[in-house]
Amino acid sequence: MAKGLTRRGFLKIAAGAGAATGLSPTVRRVALEPFVRPPEEELPGRATWFASTCRQCPAGCGIIVRVINGRPRKIEGNPAHPLNRGKLCARGQAGLQAVYNPDRLKNAVRQSGGRGSRVFQPIQWEEALVELTTAIQGLQDPRRLALLAGMPPDHLHAIWTRFLQALGAPPPLIFDLHTAMEGRAESAALAERWFGEVNLPIYDLANADVIFSFGANFLETWMSPVAQSVDYGQMRQGRLGGRGFLVQFESRLSATAASADEWIPVEPGTEGLVALALGRLIVEENLGRVGRHREHAHLYRNINVSDAVEASGIPAEEMMRLARIFADAERQVAIPGGHLAGHTNGPQAMDAVMALNVVMRRLGREGGLFLPQPVPAKRFAKPVLPSRFAQVERLIERMQAGEVEVLLIHGTNPVYELPAWVGFQEALAQVPLVISFSPFVDETAVQADLVLPDHTYLEGWGYQLVTPGADRPVISGQQPVMEPLYDTRATGDVFLALAARLGGDAAQALPWPDEVSFLEESSAQLHDNSVSAYDARTPAGFWSRWRQFGGWWSKRAIRREPEVVRSSRTAIHVPLPLYRGAVEQYPFHLVPYPSITLSDGRGANQPWLQETPDPMTTARWNTWIELNPETARDLGVDDNDLVKVISPFGKLQAAVVVYPGIRPDTVAIPTGQGHQDYGRFAAGRGAKVIDLLGPAAAGEAGRFAFGATRVRIEKVGAVRPLARLEDLDGEGRENIR
Amino acid sequence: MAKAAKTSVEETPPEEGVRRWGMVIDLDRCTGCQACVVACHAENNVPVVGEEESARGRSMHWIRVERYWEGEYPNVKARFMPLLCQQCTQAPCEPVCPVFATYHTPEGLNAQVYNRCIGVRYCANNCPYKVRTFNWFRPQFPEPLDQQLNPDVTTRSRGIIEKCTFCVQRIRRVELDAGAEGRDVHDGEIQPACAQSCPSSALVFGDLNDPDSRVSQLARSRRAFRLLDFLGTDPAVIYLKGGETNV
Repeated sequence: MAKGLTRRGFLKIAAGAGAATGLSPTVRRVALEPFVRPPEEELPGRATWFASTCRQCPAGCGIIVRVINGRPRKIEGNPAHPLNRGKLCARGQAGLQAVYNPDRLKNAVRQSGGRGSRVFQPIQWEEALVELTTAIQGLQDPRRLALLAGMPPDHLHAIWTRFLQALGAPPPLIFDLHTAMEGRAESAALAERWFGEVNLPIYDLANADVIFSFGANFLETWMSPVAQSVDYGQMRQGRLGGRGFLVQFESRLSATAASADEWIPVEPGTEGLVALALGRLIVEENLGRVGRHREHAHLYRNINVSDAVEASGIPAEEMMRLARIFADAERQVAIPGGHLAGHTNGPQAMDAVMALNVVMRRLGREGGLFLPQPVPAKRFAKPVLPSRFAQVERLIERMQAGEVEVLLIHGTNPVYELPAWVGFQEALAQVPLVISFSPFVDETAVQADLVLPDHTYLEGWGYQLVTPGADRPVISGQQPVMEPLYDTRATGDVFLALAARLGGDAAQALPWPDEVSFLEESSAQLHDNSVSAYDARTPAGFWSRWRQFGGWWSKRAIRREPEVVRSSRTAIHVPLPLYRGAVEQYPFHLVPYPSITLSDGRGANQPWLQETPDPMTTARWNTWIELNPETARDLGVDDNDLVKVISPFGKLQAAVVVYPGIRPDTVAIPTGQGHQDYGRFAAGRGAKVIDLLGPAAAGEAGRFAFGATRVRIEKVGAVRPLARLEDLDGEGRENIR
Repeated sequence: MAKAAKTSVEETPPEEGVRRWGMVIDLDRCTGCQACVVACHAENNVPVVGEEESARGRSMHWIRVERYWEGEYPNVKARFMPLLCQQCTQAPCEPVCPVFATYHTPEGLNAQVYNRCIGVRYCANNCPYKVRTFNWFRPQFPEPLDQQLNPDVTTRSRGIIEKCTFCVQRIRRVELDAGAEGRDVHDGEIQPACAQSCPSSALVFGDLNDPDSRVSQLARSRRAFRLLDFLGTDPAVIYLKGGETNV
């Protein structure tokens, strides 16, 4: 931020000077108007910085954007923001390529050749709004309107909720693959079971001395990777009192496990059994320094450690050693990660991990776990969380049955992100009107009738309640750092305009002329709050500070101790995981994992992210299949050999990466590639692992069991070299050849 | 010469105003997350070459994260090492350039003068760290991706070598601003894009000639080492080796 004279200060002085000199009407001054008007903040050669919020994932990191000549040129972390503290990840850095993507939609379009034709005709926004209004007015029943969204900014969720409620339509349904694979909904449900609150717990990694992570890739994509990486740095070398110890339990060595002190390769789906056995050992042997464990003995009733030993493949003495490491620490914490959510025993497994924290009395303690302190204003009280998968399945059933007439899709790409068995695309065909708000022609937009592109996040407004939070309540503010490049329109504004046209309850529920006035009014709820990091005399001044700093947060850390509401008399029972595919025909576990660069596939249209090597395999621009060296030898394949991976539900073909950090009975494939559409950088590249997945095993319907499918592997007999940074022949980098 | 440079860091007070830019990379903090790689692409207009060319080893990253496997399953470990130009005091790339495109600045940076470069690639050939990249083709920024370009950094054309500059444009910007305000540059005020983005703060940049700078303090760590030190290149990048915790 420029020191000295600010723009606002200058305007004040200028206004004052006008009044002071008392210009009489006879002395008229006319300003010269140049043909080209630079943006008024603009000083040639000097950058202007605007604070906003990153929207490349739902973490809500604060950013500052360097703007020169009215164009953003670089995105940095906002140093004042309590969540990411000036840091930013690879995906956050690449956000410029969302705005400047050459394959963006430049205006609202109608798919004039019919769905799937990819023939788009520009339409006026007025026409689009009329069509939308007519469609909603023509609904037989308001419940035949549905809205499906990826984790939206909170202001948009608030607008939608009011809108749909006023119409009598079902509330917005939230699904995207990124949050599904990090187990966001399940983590919130976990907190509800244990602490009676639908919220995401905060794990104090910076101050922990022993961290047991059960399938949480917290340095990559899980929850808030930048904040967690900052804390990880602290845990390693940034504090007095010694370096922390990290143990990662998962079947494939993720980049997070690569940074761990120990990697324990457990069979996929048995992480919870291991956690349960560790807890049982701690209670049984009375380990640790917290006194007797009698009050928690009931949690571990009827638990047999040998069951976990058998299922997970961890020997009994190893189990005991790990239990001691955890119990003997002073500030230990156990994290239930996203991989757990991908198994049929997900909730119980997460319970078993949480129980370790409870048994060691880590709630509300330094280096333990906390609940976020709510923001002290009504409008920001409740975090937006993904819907349960059962609700997504229910929507698809209703679509299939012809019970949905108008489907609105925002910020998610379900045709690509949902596995084929769910039948989303087929169900979509039964919906008379499908409208996408995507700024890009993704796979879902190709199946839509109208595409009404939203701004990209650097062009749009919003706010986001940071969940899981920092050490204090934080709302990240989003504001445009540039004029929109094209004739796109903020989806919030589209809904406000729609409400005004529909009149009645909808217009009453959404009286704001545009989303900015909604935001300004929302911010005023925090004006004069005693914990604000800044203050202003007037709500207008407060709103300008809000934009200047990029949101609102408390001036001091406020962390809340969770109170256990779950009865300590209820035993935890973790059933064995169930898999789809018989072990005889399908001998390997399939582990799909979120790519650190492309995430669930949303980053695939950004060339910086495509070109950035995967940290573990150093491969890029394509899909690969990770095999243990022993497995590869048995199959007679080597690096770059093509193989087919076949599940009972689908198959794909890609090149092999021989990967020392994976169990011999497991294959891992990253998500992110295999797009048919989504622009030149994404389309026609690699394969889509999600389509190999099947529904959760019988009796477990309503769960997205992305880790519970078995596969077999067939050699193709061809080679397709991957673009790896690493040299396999050891001859060195090619730039000399 | 190498020895002289080293004693000047440790014993004799440095010449007034002469800086020696250096970086400390704490391998115990590095998580291999690639934030530095993308940050560098964005800051320095580093081109993207696509799948086919990067499969040939022609990707242009000025900083890359190398991953080394240790041991075998199940006792396997992976270690990360970010690698960028080591800004050697005795730089093997410099004496081989026939046209003085590769030269040594008074502040110890190995600079590349793009409009002198004739693309013989001797420098890249002679670099033991393999951190110099060559533009085999004219960089493509399909419109409007050209708008992402940082106006402070020139784009390079086909047939020339490019490399890490320690974000010299940022160094100059801060020096000019500090000069205009009549003050010295504070330690930590200058941050190359990689160090600025690094979530775990593994990268620290600063003046090695200032014994009180954070980078000098860290460089005196018992964990410090320099890459391929036996070659006598006297790098300005100092690594801190990963730690161990006893439980």
